Amino acid sequence: MRVLKIFALTALLVMAASVAFAGPTYDRVMSEKVVKAGLSNQGIPFGFIDDKNEWVGFDVDMATEIAKRLGCKLEKVVVNNNTRISFVQTNPPKVDMVLSNMTHKRVRDEKIDFSITYFFDGQKFLAKKGVVKDVKDLANLKVGSMQGTTSIVNATAYLKELGNPNPQVTGYDGEVAMFEALRSGRVQAITTDSTILLGYAAKVPGQFELVGDFISDEPYGIGLPQDDSAWRDAINFTLQDIWKDGTYKTIYDKWFGPDSKYPFPLTSKIEMWP
Amino acid sequence: MFKRYFEKVWVQNLTLLALVGLVVYYFAFIFEFKYDFDWAVFVTEGQYGHMGHLMVNGINTTLTITFYSAAIALFMGTVFGLARLSGFKPVYWFATSYVELFRNTPLLIQLFFWNFALPYAFPEEIRFKLFEMDFEFWCATIGCGIFTGAFMAEIIRAGIQSIPKGLLEASYSSGLTFSQTLRKIILPLAFREIIPPLGSEFLNNMKNTSLAMTIGVTELCWSMTEVYSLTYRTFEAFSVATLVYLGLSLTIAGILYIVNERLKIMPRDQVTPLRRLADILFWPFDALGRRMEVIFWYFRKSPEQKTISPLRRLLKASARKLVLAAKGLFVAALAYLLYMVALALVHFNWEIIWANLKTLLIWRFPNGDETEFFMGLGGLAGSVLMAVISITGSFFIGLFVGMGRTAQNRAIRIPCTLYIELIRGVPLILVILWFYQAILEFVFKVDVHAFWAATIAMTFFFGAYIAETVRGGIENIPPGQVEAAKASGLTYFQTMRKIILPQALKQMLPALVGMFIAAFKDTSLAYIIGVMELTRAAYAINNRIMIYPFEIYTTVAVLYFVCCYFMSLYAKRLERKLSPETVRIEM
Repeated sequence: MRVLKIFALTALLVMAASVAFAGPTYDRVMSEKVVKAGLSNQGIPFGFIDDKNEWVGFDVDMATEIAKRLGCKLEKVVVNNNTRISFVQTNPPKVDMVLSNMTHKRVRDEKIDFSITYFFDGQKFLAKKGVVKDVKDLANLKVGSMQGTTSIVNATAYLKELGNPNPQVTGYDGEVAMFEALRSGRVQAITTDSTILLGYAAKVPGQFELVGDFISDEPYGIGLPQDDSAWRDAINFTLQDIWKDGTYKTIYDKWFGPDSKYPFPLTSKIEMWP
Repeated sequence: MFKRYFEKVWVQNLTLLALVGLVVYYFAFIFEFKYDFDWAVFVTEGQYGHMGHLMVNGINTTLTITFYSAAIALFMGTVFGLARLSGFKPVYWFATSYVELFRNTPLLIQLFFWNFALPYAFPEEIRFKLFEMDFEFWCATIGCGIFTGAFMAEIIRAGIQSIPKGLLEASYSSGLTFSQTLRKIILPLAFREIIPPLGSEFLNNMKNTSLAMTIGVTELCWSMTEVYSLTYRTFEAFSVATLVYLGLSLTIAGILYIVNERLKIMPRDQVTPLRRLADILFWPFDALGRRMEVIFWYFRKSPEQKTISPLRRLLKASARKLVLAAKGLFVAALAYLLYMVALALVHFNWEIIWANLKTLLIWRFPNGDETEFFMGLGGLAGSVLMAVISITGSFFIGLFVGMGRTAQNRAIRIPCTLYIELIRGVPLILVILWFYQAILEFVFKVDVHAFWAATIAMTFFFGAYIAETVRGGIENIPPGQVEAAKASGLTYFQTMRKIILPQALKQMLPALVGMFIAAFKDTSLAYIIGVMELTRAAYAINNRIMIYPFEIYTTVAVLYFVCCYFMSLYAKRLERKLSPETVRIEM
């Protein structure tokens, strides 16, 4: 048995790509010059794999820019809706920051820290053209959403408010499955943050439309390890610098500008400290 | 001296107790979890609803899927298992291709195919009719049923074929009719042969229902994921789900144990209490059987009817024609099916497949970024790599744990048994999540790439299965050899190394190849934590192209099938080579 244990332990140690050590994230990043960012790889247009099998998107560009300004190399780590919080929550954190179209919420802020808001969105519904004429129509539709997000909770509450005591909301495994459900017709509407809906609607132009009002505010923040103010300051200042010199606008226009596939006008400003 | 003490049971028990104490002491006082447990999440209403209710709903759905799919699997297994024995070739071919096709592709890919690709094969009206029903749920249920059915068909075929010819000859020569032989000889014997492996298929089926979460069915694993992504209570959610799965596994195993006990042949005067309990539990079935016997007796053919009346002759002749017509119809249906498949193949968008084939095979290697895993290696190559590493690792675990389980010493045997049974009672998907999100970072404090997390999880998972194979291999060796080795003065490890293992390993080889196939298929589950193996690569491509799910999932299914099928052919050849009684000795 001892042989087995020793073998298992050595195997684990050898397999460990990098045995992380505890310590404030800021010091670690600055000494290693590598920043690990948690990014989604299936959320168009925030983080996805494009035709050339490159991992691109708004969040990816933002992460790259932040890493560049900190003078570090970026290491991309896949996260999904279920893991994006827990990866910064662990000790030591699996990633130093998470950019994964994640809404800053108070409940989440109890577990991890957030940067200032770097993107402004809201939850909406997407349906086939002409299906929803009035917002009230939504109440009795079959609706799809994503598992592990608050969208599904919001949607259920909203449909109840519209007058359906027992709404049918299905939580699919990720954006792709959700959109596929709408496209094949197994649900009549899907709901999540509007920019993601735009990204998928652009896949089959002209067939789908956003309906209704924003049913929630979704200010996106960068998820950061809890209680590390040096690191949080570094990220916040970098975000403000990116905004101040116009790089933010460039990145934004690349993905959401009037000439992009998913036009979404920039209406708010990020928080600037004098 | 130590050795002599260690042979005493109280010393062994004390050692076990001390081990448990050490573990408890370590985790309670020395080990720093850096995680505060809060079990209250399941009983209080939170901001996002009541998590306890969510879990109960999940358990309910899991049970429903398990029952329905088990019934479907048993039906499919019986029909196709019998069809595999059919003398009519087209039926045999059809059944064989069903069994091979579904056994050699991962369940996850099958579910994706049913869910994402199949609806597009129907015209729109039918599709919408389908979707009005609970499509995902039925997709998962029928998918699991068909998958498990393929395994059951093989078990049933093998069970029926295992009856020695001599028994049949004896029963015919003692004057039993065919139906009597079937009822009295074939079925009871086949049942005894079939029940244990069939039971483990029921168990596997229960565990496989956990994959339904990937297509959005709100079963136990789905609820568990929902709980931890809404409350961030990883440990609590995982623990509850694991306990429920273990409970279900134990229940199924218990039922099977009792069924087994009932079927055992034992003399009247040596009946165990358990057998008595089994007899009581099976009383309704026995009673039913006896009633049936009476009814059969009543409807038996009387001697006066031995001469055939003209009407009976006509009936018999028309029955023969009916069978012939049914055969014709079956062949026509088969031809139509083949035609449809060919048509679908012709209408495939081959360009899409061709353009993405390289991606499916190796993902983006060698053009990947240097921070990426193995420069962007993934796809089929990644799956193979994962299977090779994990099966190599689990071979060593299996060897030691399997030996440990056959040991006399309780202090070794009990931990090994515990490990095997614990791991085998939980779905692989849960083991992977445990390793990826809980064990590696909280207990071992290592931070590894998702690929390694999945590989380590699979290593421990298959270790338990290989341990069982090793145990079987060791117990197959005649005890006389061990005694002879002991008598000639070899120590335990020498006996193992020089006598037992060389023979046992040779016997185990086909089973090990089978395990490798299983591991290769199960690499598809690493999808769940985002490893870019074949399934995830297909998913990413589908995400990008969106409108050709049929093509992409078919290609992936074919890739998995080709690899698994050729390996299983190899395993069969090995088996034939290694079992001398079936090889015809030629002079």
